[in-house]
Amino acid sequence: MSAHEITPNRSVLLDLKRRIKLTKGGHKILKMKRDGLIIEFFETLEKARQMRAGVSSDYAAAIGKIAIARAVEGDISVKSAAYALQADHQVIVGSKNIMGMKVPKVEATGSMHTDIAHKGYGVISTSAYIEEASVAFEKLLETLIRAAEVETTMKKLLDEIERTKRRVNALEFKIIPDLREAERFVKFSLEEMERENTTRLKHQKKKGEAAE
Amino acid sequence: MFRRNTRRGNYAYTVTRVKAKKSQLIKEEEYNKMLLMSLPEISRYMSESGYQKEMSELAGRMSGIDLVEYASYLNMSRVFTSILKASEGELYTMVSAYLEKWNIWNVKMILRGKSFGLDEKNIKEDLVPAGSLKEAQLDKLLSLSTVEEILTEYSRMDSVNIPSDLIAGYMGTSGGLSVIEDFLDKFKYARLLQAIVPDSRPTLMFQDYIRHEIDLVNFSTIMKLKAEGIHGEANVMEYIIPGGKQIDRRTAAQLANIESVSGVSSEISQMDFYEAVKPLLDAPVVSIRAVESALKRYDMERAKKFSHMNPLSVAPVMDFMIHKENEISNILAIARGIQSGLDTEVIKGLLVI
Repeated sequence: MSAHEITPNRSVLLDLKRRIKLTKGGHKILKMKRDGLIIEFFETLEKARQMRAGVSSDYAAAIGKIAIARAVEGDISVKSAAYALQADHQVIVGSKNIMGMKVPKVEATGSMHTDIAHKGYGVISTSAYIEEASVAFEKLLETLIRAAEVETTMKKLLDEIERTKRRVNALEFKIIPDLREAERFVKFSLEEMERENTTRLKHQKKKGEAAE
Repeated sequence: MFRRNTRRGNYAYTVTRVKAKKSQLIKEEEYNKMLLMSLPEISRYMSESGYQKEMSELAGRMSGIDLVEYASYLNMSRVFTSILKASEGELYTMVSAYLEKWNIWNVKMILRGKSFGLDEKNIKEDLVPAGSLKEAQLDKLLSLSTVEEILTEYSRMDSVNIPSDLIAGYMGTSGGLSVIEDFLDKFKYARLLQAIVPDSRPTLMFQDYIRHEIDLVNFSTIMKLKAEGIHGEANVMEYIIPGGKQIDRRTAAQLANIESVSGVSSEISQMDFYEAVKPLLDAPVVSIRAVESALKRYDMERAKKFSHMNPLSVAPVMDFMIHKENEISNILAIARGIQSGLDTEVIKGLLVI
C-alpha cells in the first residue's frame, strides 16, 4: 500500500502508530525466534554430523560383513536366509515442538535386534558369517532410524530459519519503512492541512474586518 | 531315495573313480593364481578347468559372478550324482545318507522361497540337486503352494517322519521356519548315523568321524547362541544334535550353562578340536566366525587323515565330497571377494585350503 493512497486524518495516524508499535514488537520477537532457531540448528547440525559418521561407519561395516558372508556362504545361502527372516520391525512417527515448530519424533517400537533363535531361519545350519551380517544390518537400521529424526529436524529447522529470516527482513526493510513513510505522509498532510486551515481562517478574518 | 542295502559296496570301483576326480580338484597354488585374477579371468579359468560344460550351458542366461556361482553348484551336483549312481550296496546307502544334506538344503530353499512368496522359477534357480532327490521330485515339491503340503510330500518322498505337531506348531505361529529347519538338520545326522553299520573298521571309523562332526556342529551352535546372550540348558538343548562323540547331552548341558563365550575354553580342554580353537577362545574378543572357520579347517584335516588311513572304504569317497564342497566354497570366496573389492589377504583368510 503506497503512503499516498491512504487518507491522511488523525484516526489513520493513530492506527499507523499502533501498527508500527505492533510490527516493531513482532519484528523483535521474530528476530529472537530466528536467533533461537539458529542456535538449535547448530546443535542439531552437530548431532547430524555424528549421526552421518555413525551411518557411514555402520553401513561400511554391514556391507563388509555381507560381502564376506556372500563370499563364504554364497549368494544363494545369503539370499535364502533373507527370505526366511520373520522380524517385523516398526517405527512410530510422532512430533515434538521446537519454538512453535513441529518436528518429527521417530522411535522404534522395540529393539531392532532379533536374536538368532527368533529370526526365522534354523539356528543349527545358519553360519556365523550370515548371522554377523544380519546383526550388522540391524545395527545400521537402528542408526538410520535415529538419523532419520535428526536429519528431518535439521531440514525442517533450515526451512523455518529461512522463512523466519524472510519475515524479519520483510518487516525490517519493507513493512516498517512503509508504515513509517505512511506515518510521515499523514503527519505532513495533517500539518499541511493545519497550515491551510490557519491561513484560511486568517483570510476570512481579514475579509470580515474589511467588510466591517 | 534313502534305502538300506545289506550288500557290501563296490568300493574298489567307486574309490578309483573318486580318486581320478580328486586329482582334478583345484590345488593350493592354483587358488593363489586365482586370487590375482579378475572376475572374467576366473570365469575363463574355470571354463578351462573342469567346469567348461556347466559354464557353456549357463552362459546364455547368466553372466559374471552369478555364472560362476550357479555353474559351480551345477558341476558339484552332477559330480555327486555320478558318484551316487556309481556306488552300490552299503556304500550307496552311506553316500546317499551323506548327500541327504543337499536334499535338506533344497527343501529349505523351497520352504523359504514359498513362505517369502517367490515364484517357482526363482526358487528353482537356487536349487542344487546334488542329493538323492531327482529334479522331477524337486519340481513336484516346487509345484506345491503351502509349507504343510511341501513337508507332507517331502516326508513321503524321502521317508522322513516329520512330527505332525511340528507342522501344526508352524501353522500356529507367526510363520518362522526355524523349528522345521532345525528338525531337518537333526534328522540329517540321525539318518547318516543310521545308515552306517559299524561292522568293519572303516565303517566304525566313519561313524566316529560323523559323531565328531556332530560335536563340531553342536559346539558351533552353542557358541553362536552364547554370542547372542542365549545360554542355559532350557534355551540351548533344543538345538543340540544327538549322537555326538565327545559332546554328549551332559557335556552339552554343561557348556550351555556357561554364561560367557570366553568361559568355554576350560570346559573343552579335553576335546580333540580344542587345539584348533584355543588361540581364538583365548583372544580378548572371541570371533564366532573365526571359530567356525577354524572348526571347518579342522574337519577337513580329519577327513584327509581318515581317507589316508582307509584307502579302500567309504572314507576316500567322503573325503572327496568334502573337498569338492570345499572347492566350491573357495571358488565362490575368491570370485565374490574379488567382485566385492575385498583385500586379497582377507579373501585368503576366508579360504579353507
